[in-house]
Order: sequence, then C-alpha cells, then structure tokens
Amino acid sequence: MKRHTLTLLIGTVLVLIFALLLFVFQVRQSEVAVVTTFGKPTRNIAEPGAYLKWPWPIQRVYKFDQRIQTFEDKFTEGLTADNNNLLTMVYLGWRIVDAKAFFPKFAGGSVQAAERMLEGLLSNAKGAVVGRYNLSDFVNADPERLKFDQIERDMRAMVEAQLSTNDCGIKIEFLGIKKLGLPESVTQTVFERMTSERQVLVSRLQNEGEAEAERIRATANRQAAEVLAAAEAEATRIRGQGEARAAELLPVFERNPALANFELRLQALEQALKDRATLIFDERTAPFDLFQGFRTNRNSK
Amino acid sequence: MNPTRSPESPQPPGPQAVDAGSQALAEALRSSFAIVRFVMVLLVAVFFASGFRIVGPQEKGIILRLGRPVGEGEAALRGAGLHWSFPYPIDEFIKVPITEIQTLRSTVGWYAVTPEQELAGTEPPVVASTPLNPATDGAVLTADGNIIHSRAILRYRFDDPLRCVFGFTGGTNGAFTLTGVSNAVLNTLNNALLRAAAEFTVDQILTRDVVGFQDAVRRHFERLARERQLGVAVEQCEVQSRPPRQLKQAFDDVINAGQRRSKVLNEALSFANQVTNRAASEAAAILNGAEAQRTRYVETIAADAKRFEGLLTQFQSNPDLYMEQRLVQTMSRVLTNLQDKVYMPERGDGRTRELRLLLNREPPKPKSETSP
Repeated sequence: MKRHTLTLLIGTVLVLIFALLLFVFQVRQSEVAVVTTFGKPTRNIAEPGAYLKWPWPIQRVYKFDQRIQTFEDKFTEGLTADNNNLLTMVYLGWRIVDAKAFFPKFAGGSVQAAERMLEGLLSNAKGAVVGRYNLSDFVNADPERLKFDQIERDMRAMVEAQLSTNDCGIKIEFLGIKKLGLPESVTQTVFERMTSERQVLVSRLQNEGEAEAERIRATANRQAAEVLAAAEAEATRIRGQGEARAAELLPVFERNPALANFELRLQALEQALKDRATLIFDERTAPFDLFQGFRTNRNSK
Repeated sequence: MNPTRSPESPQPPGPQAVDAGSQALAEALRSSFAIVRFVMVLLVAVFFASGFRIVGPQEKGIILRLGRPVGEGEAALRGAGLHWSFPYPIDEFIKVPITEIQTLRSTVGWYAVTPEQELAGTEPPVVASTPLNPATDGAVLTADGNIIHSRAILRYRFDDPLRCVFGFTGGTNGAFTLTGVSNAVLNTLNNALLRAAAEFTVDQILTRDVVGFQDAVRRHFERLARERQLGVAVEQCEVQSRPPRQLKQAFDDVINAGQRRSKVLNEALSFANQVTNRAASEAAAILNGAEAQRTRYVETIAADAKRFEGLLTQFQSNPDLYMEQRLVQTMSRVLTNLQDKVYMPERGDGRTRELRLLLNREPPKPKSETSP
C-alpha cells in the first residue's frame, strides 16, 4: 500500500514536469515573444515571465532578442550643401519592441532581413541629411556653429519617420556618425593646404622669434642706459653733496684771504713743477736771491 | 487479469491453491514495476540535479527566475564555484564571460597598421605627397577642415552588468555575452572621437591643447554613454594623435622652427642679462667713485681748513717772515724734484738778457717754460 502511494507521488511529479515542459514557456528579460495559434499571431508578450500555451501543433512561440543590436552602414560618399564630397559611416542601435508587429513583417522574423531594411532606410536618410548641411556644420572650431548633434538627430528623426509609416515593432535606440572622411582625390588638396599652412607657421615662428629677440635686446639696452644715467645723476648729486659740505668749511679760509691765496699759489706752484720740468731762473727768485747779495747790494732785498 | 484478481485482493492471500501460471505472471509484473519505479525516481533526481552549475573564474552566473534576474546589480552576479537553481522552466542559469577592466581601441582615425607592426613599433611605409586612401587609412577631420590621425584607448568597467547583459545583444538570441555592449561602446567611442576632433584645430590637437582634446573625447563619451545607458564607467581614456605621415616633413619643419625660435629668444635673453648686469655693475662703480670723490674732497678741504687754522696763528704773528719761509721751503722741495735747473744771473749792466730756446719735437723731452 505504502509502496503504491510513493509510486503514485513520483508518477504525479513526473506528469507535472512533463506538463510544465509542454504547456509552460518562459520569456527571459532579454526577449519578447509572440504566440501563434495555427500559424496566426495571436498573443504578444513584452514582459518576462512564465506563460501558458497549448502544445504544438496548436500554438507555437516565437521569441526574439529584444536587446539593442548595433550595425553600421557602408562608408559612402555624399555631397554636402556646399558641394563638398564627404564620406560618412553611420551606426545605428535598434531593438525589437513589439514581437507581434515584427514577426509577420519579415520572413520568419528574420533579424537579418530587418537589418537590411534598416540599412536601406539609413542610407536614404543619410544621403538626404548630409545634403542639407555644409561641411562647416560637421567640423567647426566654434561650438555655436557646430551642428554635429543636430545632424545626428535629423538622421534619426528621418529613419524613425520612415519606420513609423509601417509599424515594424522596431525602435531606434541611438544613431551616430562613426566615421567621417574626405575622398582620396580631395585629400591631396587638403594635404597641400596643410603644407602651406605649416609653411606660414614656420615663417611666422621665425619672424616672431627674431622680432621678439630684437625687442628683448632693445629693452635690455634701454634699461642699461637708464641705469647708467640714473647712476650718473646720483653721482653728480653725491659730488654736489661733497661740494656743499666743503662750502661749509670755506668761512675758515675767509678769515684770512691773503694767507689762503698764498697757500693756494704755493700748492699750485708745487703741482706745476712736479716732474719733468725745466726751470730757468735768475737771482731774483728765492732762494737764489742769496747769490745777489754776494755780488752787489744794488737790488732790493 | 486484474478483474479476476481485484475481488480477491482485499483479503490477504490465504492458503488457497493458486495455479503456477498466474504466480509467475505476478512475479514478472512486480519486477517490471520495480524497474519502472527505479526509472521514475532516476528521472526526478536527474531533473533536480540538472540545477547544478559550475561557474569558472573568468565568468559570472546569473539566475533567471521566470525570466527575470534574481538580485539587483552586483548581487545578481554569482561568482566562481558550484551553484544550484531550479531547473527550467522555473529558473534558468546563464553564464556571462566577464573580466574586471576592458580595454578598447577606437577603430577610426588611424592609418592601417597590422598588430605585428604595432607591437614592433614600426609602421607601414608611406610615400610623401601621395593622397590618403580613406578606404584603408582612417583619419579624423579637424575643426579647421584638416586631416589628422587620432585614436583613443579606453579602459572601462561594467558599472551596471545587468544592463550590459540584458540591454545589448551579441547577435544571437539566447547567448549572453558582453560583445553586444562592447560593440556599442566601441561605436560610441568612435563617435566621441569624431565629435571632439570636429571641435579642435590641428594645432590644438597636436601641440597646444593635447590634454584638452583628450578630456573632450572622454567628456563626449561619458555624455553619450549616459544618454544611451551603456552601463559602463570609464576608468581611463587616452588619446594619441599625429599628423598625416605624408606631411611629416612639413610638421617637423614647424617643430624645428619653434626650436630655433626659442634658441634665438634664449640668446636674446642671455644678451639682455649680460647688458643689464654690466650696466648695474657700472652704475655701482660710478656711485662708488662718486662717493669716494666726495669723501676725498671733503676730507681734503677739511684737512686744509684745519691746517689753515694752524697756519693762521703763525701767519698773523709775522706775515712777511712766514711768507718768505713758506716760499723758500716750497722752492727747495720743488727744486730737488726738478729735472733741469738753469740759473741765469742778471747782467752786470742791469740790461735784460736775451735767451734763445730751441724746442725740438723729439726726443720727448720735457717742455720748458721761460720765466724771464
């Protein structure tokens, strides 16, 4: 008896498990699913969880990855509004949001087919949007005039507009320019322009350097002259000070100008006859006036 | 068989005579029933044992319960080891290869170079003054419409692993890898590089504002990553830039010119230093000279004045005698030092004597003066 209940229990569990596997399916967080009844899409599942269904062949479940897929288009050449050839490559992030709408649009819900369609839309949008802008809207040192964001927004809006005309269950998550380039023939001219820009820079550096060096030298010379002039002025002032101080002492000499003059003359005499001088004199000059006295007394003193 | 047996089964088997055939059949039934039971138990056991999973060192496990991940953020990630979850369709155990820091290198904007050349530090040869083929060699357009090479190396980690795993697909449904988010990060990085280059001029990118450019790339990337909820955090963003290799000579010329310029400037500066220093020292010499002169002059006058005062008393006592004495003293001093001394006594008749001097230019003899 006991053995029977145990057997029964195990049997029930097994049946339950088989039923679960047969009637229940799970939708992951990363997925959306659509249930078809005899081939006709009937139920749309957007939330993760476990769901019931009738076993095949009544109902079938098609699950789609609803995570963002990224793809990029080709690096193609387009004409900007100001007639520049510009190569662009755009990448696109999209995802399936509505399995029921997505499933019947593409054969067997093929993601590749969806991507091909998106590529078509994207290349249309890209060509149209690039033609609306100037090259200076793509690259510009002035952030006010740079329209990179706007260009990307326009492309996205255009792709979304085309998508919304027929509901594909697809949502565009992001779109951006991946690569910008100039055609090979244009690069040659750009290189030439860049070379001449470099040459301008070289000559400017040279000239600037020389001018600056000249200015430095001139400034230094001027400063030196100023310093010297100031020193001269100061020296004159110092000498003047000395003379003023000396002048204070002059009254001493005024006490007897005769003596002062005599002393000065003596000094001058001594200075004048200091060296390499020849003096011719007669007996009237002291001390040779002594000779006079020997011969005659005629002369005074 | 059963209908015949069932009425009897409530009673315990009595000592009835059962025929051997039915006994053998019951025996066979019982043994096959045991096998079936064994298989059933085994099936149930296998079902529950299938919930065991081993997570390796370079991967993380995530349990999906009825399709939703169990746990939030980091807590949802199961580390290396043995884990158990309910079997499908209740739970599902997925494994994600994930490492701490990811490194990505932007794919646009750099010339074609093979990994071997990259490692060896060499580059493919290029002929100067040839155009750049955009199909093979990448380049970015700068704000002033020029072409240069630039690439960004991004190190990042997965800040929100669940967003990374459940937000981006690697291409196949049911596969949980991070290639999808890496692809999105790479495209965003390329986009950020283009945007930054579109705002900067060649000179800013290459020389004047290298750091600013790098910051701009990082800023753009972080903003875009936030907008797109990539769920990654930037650890480091490094940008390398260089002029087109075809124009190497032209760019080198500018660098050389810059160096020559600083050389010229340095020379001028050292000249300026010399001149000003010399002027300063000359000025100091002038001042010192003036000071010395002043001191000497004042001292001399003072000394003279002092002496004068001393002499005054002598002079006042007998001016004539004093003057005579002083004159003679001086004359004697002067005469000892004189080179030539000529004495000419007066003529006896008292008439003036005539003296003729022959001045000769050479040899440089001292000039003579006449004093009659």
